[in-house]
Amino acid sequence: MQPSPTKHHPGKAEKQEARTAKLLLIPAFMGLIFLTYLPLIAVFGISLFQWRVPGTPSFAGFDNYRFLFTEDFFFWTSIRVTLLYGFLSVAAGLVYSMIIALLLNRPIPGRAAFRTIFYMPFIIPAVATFLSWSLLYDGGGIINNIVVMFGGQRTHFLSNEQTIIPALAMVAVWTSGNLIVIKMAGLGNVPRTYLEAAEIDGANAWQRFWKITLPCMTPIIFYNMLMSLVTNMQIFVPSLLMAAGGGAGAGTVPESYLFMTFTMYRTGFINGLIGRASAISFIFFILVGIFTAILFITSKSWLFYEGGDPK
Amino acid sequence: MKKNAVHGIVKTFMLLVMILGLAACGTAAQPEPPAQPVDATVTQAQEQEPPAGGERVNITYAMWGDASEVEQVRQVIQQFESEQDWISVEVINIDRGDFEATLNTMAIAGNLPDTAIMAEPMVLNWAERGMLLPAGDMFAGFPEEPLEKLGFRWDGETVGYSVANELLLNFFNRDMFEAADVDVPPANVADAWSWDEFIDTARTMTLDTNGNNAHSPNFDPSNIVQYGVMFDPAIWMLEVWALANGGGWYDPADPFNVIIDQPAAVESLQMIADLHLVHNVSPQFGTNIAATIETYLLENAAMYINGQWSVGVWLGPAQFSDGLNYGVGVLPSMQRNITMATGGVNVAFSTSQHQEAAREWLAWYAQVENSWAMIESGIWMPIFPIWYHDEAYMRRWAENPNFPPFEEYRSAVINYALTNAVPTSWYWVNNTELFNDVLSTALAPVWSGHSTAEEAINGAIGALRAANRGN
Amino acid sequence: MNQKSAFTTLRLIIITILAALVLFPIWWIIRSSLMTGPEVGTMALFPSRWLFSNYAEAMVHFDYFLYLRNTLIIAVPAVIFGTSTAVMSGYAFARLRFRGKKFLFGLCIASMLLPPMVTLIPLYIVWTQYFGLINTFWPLILPWMCGGGAFNIFLIRQFILTIPKELDEAAMIDGAGRIRILVQIIVPSIKPAIMVVAIFIFLTVWNDILHQTVYLLDDNLATMALGLRIFRGSYGTVWQLAMAATVLSIIPGILVYIFGQKYLIEGVVMSGMKN
Repeated sequence: MQPSPTKHHPGKAEKQEARTAKLLLIPAFMGLIFLTYLPLIAVFGISLFQWRVPGTPSFAGFDNYRFLFTEDFFFWTSIRVTLLYGFLSVAAGLVYSMIIALLLNRPIPGRAAFRTIFYMPFIIPAVATFLSWSLLYDGGGIINNIVVMFGGQRTHFLSNEQTIIPALAMVAVWTSGNLIVIKMAGLGNVPRTYLEAAEIDGANAWQRFWKITLPCMTPIIFYNMLMSLVTNMQIFVPSLLMAAGGGAGAGTVPESYLFMTFTMYRTGFINGLIGRASAISFIFFILVGIFTAILFITSKSWLFYEGGDPK
Repeated sequence: MKKNAVHGIVKTFMLLVMILGLAACGTAAQPEPPAQPVDATVTQAQEQEPPAGGERVNITYAMWGDASEVEQVRQVIQQFESEQDWISVEVINIDRGDFEATLNTMAIAGNLPDTAIMAEPMVLNWAERGMLLPAGDMFAGFPEEPLEKLGFRWDGETVGYSVANELLLNFFNRDMFEAADVDVPPANVADAWSWDEFIDTARTMTLDTNGNNAHSPNFDPSNIVQYGVMFDPAIWMLEVWALANGGGWYDPADPFNVIIDQPAAVESLQMIADLHLVHNVSPQFGTNIAATIETYLLENAAMYINGQWSVGVWLGPAQFSDGLNYGVGVLPSMQRNITMATGGVNVAFSTSQHQEAAREWLAWYAQVENSWAMIESGIWMPIFPIWYHDEAYMRRWAENPNFPPFEEYRSAVINYALTNAVPTSWYWVNNTELFNDVLSTALAPVWSGHSTAEEAINGAIGALRAANRGN
Repeated sequence: MNQKSAFTTLRLIIITILAALVLFPIWWIIRSSLMTGPEVGTMALFPSRWLFSNYAEAMVHFDYFLYLRNTLIIAVPAVIFGTSTAVMSGYAFARLRFRGKKFLFGLCIASMLLPPMVTLIPLYIVWTQYFGLINTFWPLILPWMCGGGAFNIFLIRQFILTIPKELDEAAMIDGAGRIRILVQIIVPSIKPAIMVVAIFIFLTVWNDILHQTVYLLDDNLATMALGLRIFRGSYGTVWQLAMAATVLSIIPGILVYIFGQKYLIEGVVMSGMKN
């Protein structure tokens, strides 16, 4: 290999590289600073003020937090429903996507078409999805008609406190086609050699799944859980649409719609209490952080990396 | 070569930025004021000379309303612009559901319009923060002041007047009552039903799929096709029953003294809930969709309690388009007979750059002749006393096909407004929207029967008081 | 063999049932959009008369082309800016060495866990108060100039890592600079990843009702998601019209999906395989 001119000055090549890198990374860097981390600090900052639009802010220390935790009428409800919905939808989505991925893990005719079908709900925008399921869940809608046919009682799934969260979770499951595709790829990566060896040793399908496939899938499951939990906890569209029509105080938003993104929006943008809304946002951030940390920490005990100790 | 690539990228970016700049800015730009026809004839009570220099001014007016309401306002503006030549008004139409949020976000952005119709719950809060231009002297040149109860008061001052005097009324479907051979709700408050009479009639008018009414032993509550009465799902309207029951939500002597936990108010809420839970004459409160009163009256409800604006917005037109034969009566009584009056407020913001123009526009608009389309269609009730005392004025107002028969309307609405109407609490109590948010959630289990009104209110009273204080 | 094919048949049956269940709501939307009001509430699977007129009627209230235009005004620049900056950043992380790379990359990845709602309020204040960009599309477009989201940067990086360095090295011998390598060698090789990022950004923008609600106040700036909201709320739901509008709003997404399907699934796979 002929030495290129730059090789005579080793430091220069590296500096060149670093400069190019910095140039290329300016947009991302700006974004991280000004759109992510500074605003994060700002949210915390604003939450320390009592600020009701259209008025002016005044410093209040941790008063907003104190109010939320002790006096606010909606706060604990919003935590409860956000977490309930988050866990339910993530767990159900995980099971659903696993089952479908397993079913599609064999060469069956039309496999690609099936994959397309299961993925489709993912691309439908949330408002359209909610409107459509509102029709399905409607008091006179098809789901109720079927329930009544089987002797059940007509239920307003989207207004009845007992059924709202499961109903919404079901919609989340329907939408989780992207998880299926990821899992399918993961399943494809489970080493055939292990599975074949196990089969030879007499293990049945269930045992093969539980002892080999599942452990190999844990990284993917972990990633899916994390991403879908963060996404699902931010649910907003159903609350926004249920609260529509009449402005503040005109209608009743059932408790189960008081997800944290919505209470943040209502507190801040409809009622004008920006300081308190920022506190809600920051608490939400901490909550997500806690679950992320929990997932990461517990993952050590159940996450299985290939090349590590097979359990 | 490297330079070319980078140049190429940069050039593309610049091009895109330019294209977008045109696209995005174009939609948000203010149009030029339209050319004014110079019209010398001005007949209004209040009229000012344009400021020295005769500078043209364009002000904005934010409102909510459907396409026809916006069109009506635009016609009003056309009239205004033809009667003077230095102010032009641009309408900003905001969805009613987004209205509070939009004004708040405009406030943060420093982008408030000059004038707006403002939802009642917001008025005192904004007055408190000095955002509204004082309105007390707006009617200085007028023959008379508006009805006193329509004034919003903060800190001893009047900060605005409602544009209309809307009452809560008992609307009913006349055909249904005729078919059942039952007396319609009385139009004269002297004949008003007691609560028991009200329930009784409602039961007769509640029918199941087999045609049995709620008095019948064969009545099937799970298969009701027609309800005796329905309520608009708006929480703020419930205050009228607390007042009718001899109590209230707030202490008239002290807007920061919340009294909704006293027996009269609590009982009134339970009585409303019981209409569904015990007497089966009404669907569970909040389950019918707001603002489709004409559909309900046509098909599922004999009576519907809602605000007077229903006449103009839905019921009047439904007579012609759907053959609805509707009537209006006074509300039933509890301990006494009360109805509430309310109405949005036209305000000018203190941030406006054109305060004089803003106030002149509002004062002009406040004259009844200038919002005649709203009055004539039955959307707004006039705010000046003469319309309630002088027969000629009354007939001009309400004797037209949109309205129910004149005598009925005169008794059930016009007289009722003078004798039994009190202002809704947001005229003198602040933070009612925060209060109503809490109340709405607190009462949810009451409507479904999972909790009594007493339990719910007692559980929420702390939060209600905090909300009232602005928390 | 027999047992295997029996199992396969069983699989096929089960998966077909499930697929039918998943498709059912989509069919229900379409079928309802073509019916009369009362018919919508029946159990009928097919409309008795295919009322395409519902679409025309829906468009009276639902200004489809306006919403489409507005949503595209946001989406197209977002995709262009987001994709290019994601490629720039992903390349830098994948191929270039510099001090603080690990730290910066860590910050980048960590930001994936920051939900957008958290920073909504301060960003809102900045965009509207300091920059005066209330009621414009800018606050929805400009953030995409900053890498297009950590997720997409990550995706590109992973993809680039799979490309053998030999190609780079050969070009460097010929005297090519880093950026030229990026443009002339890397970019053509990662086309699938670029498509994926483009599609992801498109779908994200299409769906982003929170920011659209907050920044777009004027009626004539409304996007698809905002436009659909009129069908829910005060005036009751006229189902057949709501469903017609829904179908209309889904069409662009479906088109993008059909076009980019292959890439999308590959990219999702790529992203899920990270470790």
